[in-house]
Amino acid sequence: MEEQVGIAWHKLINHLTARNHPEAVVELSGITRDAALLFRALGGEAGLAVQAGAATRHGAKRSLLDRLAGRASKADLAWVDHEALRLPAFIDAYPATALNRDLYFWLAALCAVDPEPNQAWLIRNQAAVLAITHTYPGLAARYHRLVEAEIARRPDPRQLPPDEAQQEQAIRNALLQPGSTLSLPPTRYPPHPVLLWLRPDQATAAPGRSHPSPEQSSQTASTLQSDQKRRVAQHEELPARQGGLLLFRPESIFSWTEYAKVEHETQDNEDQNLAHAADDLDVISIARDHKSIARKLRMSLDLSAAEHNTRPLSGNSMQPEWDYRTHSLNPNQCRIHHIPMTDASPCALPEYLKRDKQRMQRQFSALQPVRLRFKGQTEGKDIDIEPYIRHVTHRSGTESRFYIDQRKRERDLSCLLLADLSLSTEAWVGEGKRIIDVIRDSLFLFSEALSVSRDRFALYGFSSKQRADIRFQTLKAFDEVYDDVVRGRIQQINPAYYTRMGAAIRQASDILGQQKSRERLLLLLTDGKPNDADHYEGRYGIEDTRKALISARQKGLRPFCVTVDQDAHEYLPHIFGKDNFIIIRKPSELPTRLPLLYAQLTR
Amino acid sequence: MSANPTIHTARLPDDIPFYTPNGDEVTLFELAYRNCLPILIKGPTGCGKTRFVEHMAARLKRPLYTISCHDDLSASDLVGRHLIDASGTYWMDGPLTQAVRHGGICYLDEVVEARKDTTVVLHALSDDRRILPIERTGETLSAPPEFMLVISYNPGYQHLLKGLKPSTRQRFVSLAFGFPEPAREAEIVMMESGIHQAAAKQLVVLANALRNVAEHDLEEAPGTRLIVGAAKLIASGCDPQTACRVAIVECLSDEPEITRALMVVVQAVFDR
Repeated sequence: MEEQVGIAWHKLINHLTARNHPEAVVELSGITRDAALLFRALGGEAGLAVQAGAATRHGAKRSLLDRLAGRASKADLAWVDHEALRLPAFIDAYPATALNRDLYFWLAALCAVDPEPNQAWLIRNQAAVLAITHTYPGLAARYHRLVEAEIARRPDPRQLPPDEAQQEQAIRNALLQPGSTLSLPPTRYPPHPVLLWLRPDQATAAPGRSHPSPEQSSQTASTLQSDQKRRVAQHEELPARQGGLLLFRPESIFSWTEYAKVEHETQDNEDQNLAHAADDLDVISIARDHKSIARKLRMSLDLSAAEHNTRPLSGNSMQPEWDYRTHSLNPNQCRIHHIPMTDASPCALPEYLKRDKQRMQRQFSALQPVRLRFKGQTEGKDIDIEPYIRHVTHRSGTESRFYIDQRKRERDLSCLLLADLSLSTEAWVGEGKRIIDVIRDSLFLFSEALSVSRDRFALYGFSSKQRADIRFQTLKAFDEVYDDVVRGRIQQINPAYYTRMGAAIRQASDILGQQKSRERLLLLLTDGKPNDADHYEGRYGIEDTRKALISARQKGLRPFCVTVDQDAHEYLPHIFGKDNFIIIRKPSELPTRLPLLYAQLTR
Repeated sequence: MSANPTIHTARLPDDIPFYTPNGDEVTLFELAYRNCLPILIKGPTGCGKTRFVEHMAARLKRPLYTISCHDDLSASDLVGRHLIDASGTYWMDGPLTQAVRHGGICYLDEVVEARKDTTVVLHALSDDRRILPIERTGETLSAPPEFMLVISYNPGYQHLLKGLKPSTRQRFVSLAFGFPEPAREAEIVMMESGIHQAAAKQLVVLANALRNVAEHDLEEAPGTRLIVGAAKLIASGCDPQTACRVAIVECLSDEPEITRALMVVVQAVFDR
C-alpha cells in the first residue's frame, strides 16, 4: 500500500513539474560531428573534441513542486575547457525537435565565438550573442526562435517575489535585446539557468583557472617549466627518504605511475609515492570529473652525455650511430634484435574496424592498376601517328615503333611502415584509447587498404633499451601475405622501453633498400622525439636520426613521418625536412587518416 | 593523339580582365618582366592565379599562351611536332615555341602535374641563356626580351612522388598567393557575379568559416572561384542555401557526413 501511494505521488509530482519534452529529445551523439564542424568553422580550436558535459548545479530557486519532486536542481549547460567542447548529452528543453537541435548548434557557435571570455557572465553572453547574430544571419534567425521558446520556458515574473521578478525581467531583456542589460538586480538566489548562454563562470573557473593544469602546460614550453619548478620545490621540502627514487628502475616507475590517480584539488596531500612519481613526469593530464586519469607522456632522465662510451658491440645485426659532437659515424654501435613474433596466434580484424575497412578498401580499389596506353611500341592495337609522321619526315628507315598498346601498368611501389612501439605510446589520447591502440588500429586499416591496392608493403615495429638492445619486430615482411597470422601479430604489439629512432630507421632502410621497386617509401609512425635511456636524447638523438634519414634518401628511399606529437613542428622539420612529415592533431583520427594520407602521397 | 588543340590558347587581349591586387604583385610582375625574370606563382585552388596572369598579359599588351598541365603532357606538346597533310609532313610549333617566337607570355598552370621531361625544356629558357633548343628540327630559338615564362602550382597537397625540384624552383621569382581579405573578396564576388553586397559579404563569411575547417575536415579550402559560382546562382534567383549546397558544399567533399555538417555551417550563415 505504502509503495503504491509512493508511486502515485511520484507520478503526480512528476506530471505537475514536467517542463521538459522527452518526445522532442535530440541526443548529442546524433549531431556530434555537425556541432564539431560548426564549432571549428566559427573559429573554435580545431584540436578540441566534442563531449557531453555533466549537468551543472545552478543553485537557482526552484518551485515548491520541483523541490518536492527533488528535481531541476541541475541544468545542462555548455562550456569549453582545455580538452573539449562540452555540450549537454541530450536536449529536451523545448517542445520541438528542431528547436532542441538548433539549441545544440547555437551552443556550439556560442562556444566558438565568445569574444569577451573574461567578462562577467551576463556581459560575456550578451557580447557573444551580438557577435554571432551580427555575422551569421542564419544563426540570428534561429536565436530569435530560441529566445521565444526560452522565455516561454522560464518562470513567469508575475508569480515571483518583487526582487526575483526584477531579476528575471532583466534576464529576459538581455535575451530579447542583447547588449542592453549591464547588471542584474541582486537577489538571494542566482537567476534561473539560461539555456541559451554559456555556463556561468564560477562553475568553470575553480581549479583549472587559478592553477595551470599540466595538460595546459604541455602546450607551451614556458608553463611546462614553471610546472616542473613547482615539482622541484616540493621535492626539496620533503624528507630525505625521497632519495629512494633512484633505487627504482625507470620501468617500474612507469608501470605504477601509469595507474596513479592524481587529485588536482588536494595536491598537498598527495600520496608520498605519487609525489615521487609525479616529480619525474613532464606532463600529466588531470582528471577533472573523476573519470579518467593521470598519465605520463614522456620521461627524461638526466644522464651525463659526456660519459657515454662508444665501444663497438658485437652481434649479427649491427648498425652504426652518428655522434654530432665528434662528427663521426661510429660503426657497430647498436645491436638489433630481430623479434619475429612467431608466437602470436592468428586473429581476425577487430569487429569495430570492419566498417572503416570496407570504406578504405573501396577507396583504395581506385589505386589498382588501370589500363594505360603505351605509345611508340613495336606492336599494338592502334597506330601511333606521331612517330609514324616523324619517320616519314626524316625518312629514317630503321625506326618502326608506330603502335599504341594498351596494357595494365602496375604501380611500382614498395612501402615500409615503421611503427614506434616505445613506452610513451602507452599514453592515453581520450575515448578510452591509448596511442598504442591508435597505432594498432592504424596498422590494421593501413594493411587492409593496401592489400587491395596491390602495392607491396611491410610492417615493422621498434623499441629500444639502450644501444645494445634495439628490438625490431617483424609484423609483416615484404614477401609475406597479409592474413590472420599478420593480424595476430599486429594485435599483439605492446609498448615497451624507448625510441632509438636512428638505428631503427637504418635497419628499415636496409630492408627497404633491397626492394627492387621504382618508388620506395619509408613511413615512420611515431608519437615523439628520438630518445633512449642513455645519452641518446635531445640533440644527440635528433642529429643521429637526421643522419639516418639522409643516408636513406641517398639510397633512393623516400622517408615520411606521421606523428601525433603536437610539438613535433619544433624538431621534425630539422629531422625530416619541412614537407616530409605531418602532425595528426587528433590521434584518434590516425587510423582513418593514415591510409588516405598514403593514397594522397602516392597518387 | 595528344596534340590536343584545347590545351593552349593564344589570346591577344583587347580589354583588361578584372583583377584586384592583394599587395604589390602587379608591380613585382612588371619588374620581373622588365628584367627578363621568369615567375612562379604558388597558391591554393581558386585564389586568382590564372586571372592575375591574364590581367598582367593584358596590361603588358603581350599575347598569352596558357597551358593547363596534366600528367600526360610531354615536352613535344610544349615545343611542337611534325604533322601530316596532303602535301606531306610539316612542322607545327607548340605553344611554348609560339610564345618564344612571338615574344608572348607563356603560362604553365599546375606545372607539377606535367611529365618530368617538360621541366628540362623549361630550364634553358628560365636561366640567363633564355634559349629554346628544338631537337626535332635542329633549331635553337633565342627568346626576345618580351618573352616571359610564368608557371604556377598549388603547394597545398603534399605529394611524395610529385613536387617541384629545387633546381627548377630556384630559377623563378616566386609570388605566394593566398585568399583575399574579406572586404576585398566580397568586392571580387560582387564584381564577378553581380550579386548585391549583403549576400556577397555573407558568402565570404561562409567561405572563411569553411576555410577554418579545411585543415581538419576537407581536402582543400574553398577558393574564391567556388564562392563566385554560388554567387552567380544566387544572383540569378537561386535560393542561397541550395546554391551553396550545389556550388560549394558538394564540391568540397563526397562524404555524406561531412556535407551534412557543412550544410549546418551554411545554415548558420543563410537563413531560409
